[in-house]
Amino acid sequence: MRHNFARWDMLFVQFLKRDWKKILVWVLGVGLFSAGFVPAFEEIGKGQGFRGLYETMQNPAMIAIVGPTPADRAEDYTLGAMYAHEMLLFCGLLAMILSALHVIGHTRREEELGLMDLVRSFQVGRQANSLAVMAETVLINVLLAFVIGGILAGYGESSLSAEGSLLFGASIGMAGIMGAATALVMAQIMPASSAATGASLGIVGALFLVRAGTDISKESLSMLNPLGWTYLTYPFTENRWGPLALAALFTIAAVAAAFALEGRRDLGAGYLPERQGRVTARKTLLSVHGLFLRLNKGVILAWTIAFLVIGASYGSIYGDMQTFLESNDIMRQMFTASGVSIEASFTGIILLVTTSLVAILPVAVVNRLFSEEVRLRLSQLLATRVTRARLYWTNVLMAVLAGLAGTAAAAVGLGATAVAAMGDGASMDIGDFLAAGFNLFPSVLFFAALAALALGWSPRLGKAVYLYLAYSFALNYFDGLVDFPEWVSKTAVQSWIPRMPVEPSDGAVFATITVISAALMVLGYFGYRRRDMAEGA
Amino acid sequence: MSEVVIVRNLQKSFGRVTALHDVSLSVREGEVVGFIGPNGAGKSTTIRILLGILRRDGGEARIFGKDVWKNSLDIHRRISYVPGDVALWGHLTGGEIIDLFMKLHGGGDKAKRDFLIRRFELDPGKKAKSYSKGNRQKVALIAALSVDSDLYILDEPTSGLDPLMEAVFQDEVRKLKEAGKSVLLSSHILSEVERLADRVVIIRQGRVVESGTLDELRHLTRTTIRLAVDGDVRGLAAVRGVHDFRATGNQATFSADQEHIHHILSEAVKLGIRNIEAVPPTLEDLFMRHYEN
Repeated sequence: MRHNFARWDMLFVQFLKRDWKKILVWVLGVGLFSAGFVPAFEEIGKGQGFRGLYETMQNPAMIAIVGPTPADRAEDYTLGAMYAHEMLLFCGLLAMILSALHVIGHTRREEELGLMDLVRSFQVGRQANSLAVMAETVLINVLLAFVIGGILAGYGESSLSAEGSLLFGASIGMAGIMGAATALVMAQIMPASSAATGASLGIVGALFLVRAGTDISKESLSMLNPLGWTYLTYPFTENRWGPLALAALFTIAAVAAAFALEGRRDLGAGYLPERQGRVTARKTLLSVHGLFLRLNKGVILAWTIAFLVIGASYGSIYGDMQTFLESNDIMRQMFTASGVSIEASFTGIILLVTTSLVAILPVAVVNRLFSEEVRLRLSQLLATRVTRARLYWTNVLMAVLAGLAGTAAAAVGLGATAVAAMGDGASMDIGDFLAAGFNLFPSVLFFAALAALALGWSPRLGKAVYLYLAYSFALNYFDGLVDFPEWVSKTAVQSWIPRMPVEPSDGAVFATITVISAALMVLGYFGYRRRDMAEGA
Repeated sequence: MSEVVIVRNLQKSFGRVTALHDVSLSVREGEVVGFIGPNGAGKSTTIRILLGILRRDGGEARIFGKDVWKNSLDIHRRISYVPGDVALWGHLTGGEIIDLFMKLHGGGDKAKRDFLIRRFELDPGKKAKSYSKGNRQKVALIAALSVDSDLYILDEPTSGLDPLMEAVFQDEVRKLKEAGKSVLLSSHILSEVERLADRVVIIRQGRVVESGTLDELRHLTRTTIRLAVDGDVRGLAAVRGVHDFRATGNQATFSADQEHIHHILSEAVKLGIRNIEAVPPTLEDLFMRHYEN
């Protein structure tokens, strides 16, 4: 037994040396993300904010997303209660996923890269590596727990007790450790590292979905779910440490199982046989658009679903807006004065935010063509009858279609849930949401066109389009809070477009931005047609 | 014989770096031309210009009599290409990628594909990301050889293949040659070029330093002769055309200029030859001579 783990401590130190930068970014990044939003929540909670949010959070849709709260009355919904309610599940998931990826990266991935052969040729035990990476991941998560707990306790807020802070941090850390243990088991079973990653993330995703269901129907069932042992600790309210003990038992069992499995497998192989892929291609793959559709399918699908979910999560709060408005005098006065309904105003702002996010997708699709080029995957294609025009326009068109799908997904997600949440008295129908969403479509087109222009003339600038997108997003996001001069606001392309449904649409602006975008795409093509493919340099 | 590929005074710079100073070469119909040089000499750059992937700065480059940049599409109909660095889409299987390339090229032969997959012992059902370098190379080779083309441009096609697969490859190239196809074969594996090529072009630092048939080039170098004689072997050391003379007992090893070979052997006969071995100059010798200076 000892023999199997020989020199694990050396590997452990080696991992720390190799990873210390990653660990630093990880612990500080997740730590600040998990504990850093307290001031923002304080801001939201001013006046009757917590009461309004409490009502909002009773919505089953919200429970499905963030989980339940033990607070029975709005008065109990303190800053701490709210913070744990809205942040803990997500931060736990984040820690879980990062740990799982880390473990697989240091186990099966290194086996596949051939690094492990070399390590094993020394006097290193068969299972020393697994023990070392598990120890490293546990250490990282313990550090993370203390960092989060420390920051939270450091705010000195009365509802953020020291015990609660530590429990909050420990719950996130324990989520990470469980993620690592799960990944270690999958690393033994699955045939390849990518399959192990997929299976680990799949398990986390499945647990999340199951808990969404049980949280709504019968909360006690969620306690049978390993994921439940993290966010159902209820820091700052009930401070339950019991679930963490269950999580620790789960981890020990999983790690023991992983070691038992590992003892009986070959290096680089899992228990499940590698799935044989297709020996011949389907007809749908055999064209340029078929190929690029296949390459981009994952990213387009994932983003479209994300836009639907983002839209839906915003849409679910429409039902509580009137309640919120009644509780907040200043806001009520603002809306009465402007003569616009709070729903309409909110729709305009939210769609601006989601549309800025939607623009990421077409930019990613356009940039994909250049990354294919740099990775030399186009060289053999370019020697066939495929023209550069075909490559370019297939890709740009696909980006535009992806943008359309994303815009529709965000608008439908928002609209459908909003209409359902508002019930009979709905002041808007789904058509209003779609119109308002597609009114902003020229801005999506514009970002895609900038990426296309870069692709044609200076492809390394393709990434800079994201910077401009982030800049525009920030400008629009803060426009309501900070009074930017007109010319500053106008540097963001979205600012040129009127905000439906509050403002009427402007056909001339719509057409102008569309035409400019199309022209930029054509211009990009002229560059793409004549430039050297980057691989030669 | 018509010329399938004509390259004259080709030039190409990347920014301030000049990759090709002056490259001229030609491939005639039905001919296998070896294109050899060390890494970074400009082999791949020349080939990428021929494929229309890069734009030339100067000179002329034609395939089938057509300009490689302007008429690249017409040209691509009739050529097959195997890149030196084969990069594949990790999530597609080898079989899918071969089918895709065949389809995009046009004129693929399904039976030939299956035959080559068996011959190269490729598992077409595996995802490309799990392939070794040799297996990626096989995917590119099978795709290129399964379609009907008139010119095959192969950029270091056997790097990563094991000797058995290399033999299969050479056999396939021989078949192309018998079918009257033209092949431009870049390599730094000289024995491979030597076995297959009718002519070789040697490139170094962006310039063609030597070209011609192997026989022509051999005039430029010396045959290595090892012999044992009855008389005093040291007498041969002073004969014209003998270089690098080394003797042990009555045995000697030296290199001999091609043009003096008759004279040298006549002198050796006078000493009574007991045993003689002549090793013809290899491309290695040619190559080394160019890199020595």
